[in-house]
Amino acid sequence: MTSSSPKPASVKASLPEPVLNDKNGILMTNRRWPIEQWARPWSLPGYRNGAMMLAGIVLGILAGGALIGELSKWGDRLYALMGSFAAAKGISTVAVEAVWIAIKVLIVLHVILLNGLWSIWWERKISAHIQSRVGPTYAGGFHGWAQTILDGVKLFLKEDITPAAADQWVHALAPAIVIAPCIAAFAPVLFGSELAAARLDVGALYIFAFAGISVIGVVMAGWASGNKYSLLGGLRAAAQIVSYELPRGFSVVPVIMFAGSLDLSVIVSAQSGFWWGMAPRWFVFYPVVGQVAFLIFLIASIAETNRTPFDIPEAESELVGGFHTEYSGMKWSVFFLAEYAYVLLGSFLLATFFLGGGGSPLPWTPFTLVPSWVWMLAKAMLMMFVFLWVRWTLPRLRVDQLMDVNWKFLLPWSFANIALAGLYLAFWLK
Amino acid sequence: MLEHIVFYSLSTLVLVCAIGVVTMRNTVHSALCLGLCLAGLAGLFASLGADFLFAAQVMVYVSGIAVLIIFTVMLLGRASDLHLRQVNDQWMAALLICAVSSEGLLKIARFFSGTLATTAAKPATRDIGRLFLGEWMIPFELVSLVLMAALLGAIFFSRSEASR
Repeated sequence: MTSSSPKPASVKASLPEPVLNDKNGILMTNRRWPIEQWARPWSLPGYRNGAMMLAGIVLGILAGGALIGELSKWGDRLYALMGSFAAAKGISTVAVEAVWIAIKVLIVLHVILLNGLWSIWWERKISAHIQSRVGPTYAGGFHGWAQTILDGVKLFLKEDITPAAADQWVHALAPAIVIAPCIAAFAPVLFGSELAAARLDVGALYIFAFAGISVIGVVMAGWASGNKYSLLGGLRAAAQIVSYELPRGFSVVPVIMFAGSLDLSVIVSAQSGFWWGMAPRWFVFYPVVGQVAFLIFLIASIAETNRTPFDIPEAESELVGGFHTEYSGMKWSVFFLAEYAYVLLGSFLLATFFLGGGGSPLPWTPFTLVPSWVWMLAKAMLMMFVFLWVRWTLPRLRVDQLMDVNWKFLLPWSFANIALAGLYLAFWLK
Repeated sequence: MLEHIVFYSLSTLVLVCAIGVVTMRNTVHSALCLGLCLAGLAGLFASLGADFLFAAQVMVYVSGIAVLIIFTVMLLGRASDLHLRQVNDQWMAALLICAVSSEGLLKIARFFSGTLATTAAKPATRDIGRLFLGEWMIPFELVSLVLMAALLGAIFFSRSEASR
């Protein structure tokens, strides 16, 4: 919390002066915020504010993308250095590979951790602005950027409680079973056109397989808590996630058919090029098949992360907190780290499968010069925004509605989509 | 050396978990052991270089069948499932059947043990697809017919008498 003195020179004349406590300069009212401006969002200051936010987002994505690109170059250099060191000292290449894999695992782990910091703050800001609030404002100074860090400190300091009725081992292991496959699932995820921790020939299948294991952890948490609400949450989670895995997998089959491979980098390179010299050949722009597949994958991905239109496993008004009711401190936060990691995974997969990965959306010079990791991050962040936007816009579905949407709507249409994609392959694409 | 370490540790995991499935007193613990056992099997496939089989095993068995078994155990659980011995007096017959079938599996493994590939493993997804929809088309479709019949049968028997 900063106790800065009022800055008369920089405060706009149209905004009222902030009212500060005389003794130590703490803000006493919220009148510093431009309430009049929010009441009229289509005014000139509103446009100026929006343009500044947009510029900030573009700059942030450029900075983040540049960081990823630079780090990848440093990684190549480090690998070469390790190889030459091992050759000079006579160490076997197996040891070098093992150390290198450990480094890559650490990097992927930090993607998940940093994503937790960033996306929780972003979700708070987006939810606040959707509900005409402002969200975190004080922590750290600039738009409350340090809020998640302070929350993390709070969670570290909380007491770790195991209920008396709990099955101790299963209760303690459940968060680990949720987060471990999530970290493993990030191995073949592309962060640029060729930038991934591991290039797997079965990349897409591998990601779906590992993302599915986490549900065991959720069910374990629900059962081991020794609490009927938790058990109900765990059962609901098992039914929901196992069901939504089917349309999620089948909606990607047309993409795999068009690309002819399960390898993510082959899927991305199959989307390079432009129709009529200007429209990108992304799979989302393939008529009908692309849009249907995109929508089914998006809906099923949101359902897989237990987020609001599909959050019956942890419905607050029905089940207290669902499967994580009896968790506190870091165990609880691991569940949420996994949830946000799955949001990030879903957004990167949407960008890879449907939005051309690291390819530029336009064939002209200033766009094609932008490196692929910047495009990838920009598309993933756009998709993450969609995830957060959906969560704070739509109400929760009932249990039977949820199952009806899956089995009677998403799954049949994903099958029809596969058949249509087969017709495209037979008559249109060669 | 490395592959030996991987193979023996994964085999130990699979065997210990498989014994745990039948000896644990708590059925939920047994179901979780089954999940770990199937995951260890997937690890064995991966260490042999069968990448498609590895991913399919994890997808179908670990995140599908194991979850459904855990789900059923929790949904139908009685208090006695949590602390009594989960073995009835036919355990000797079960042991005998297991011994006979493992003897048969051992014979098959012996027969094919000379045909292991000596070169490095390469991605097999494309070849598996070509074999399924080419040379082995009829057996593949027969298996899918059997699965379809099982699916329809499950729906038929799970509906109540009145709605049949």
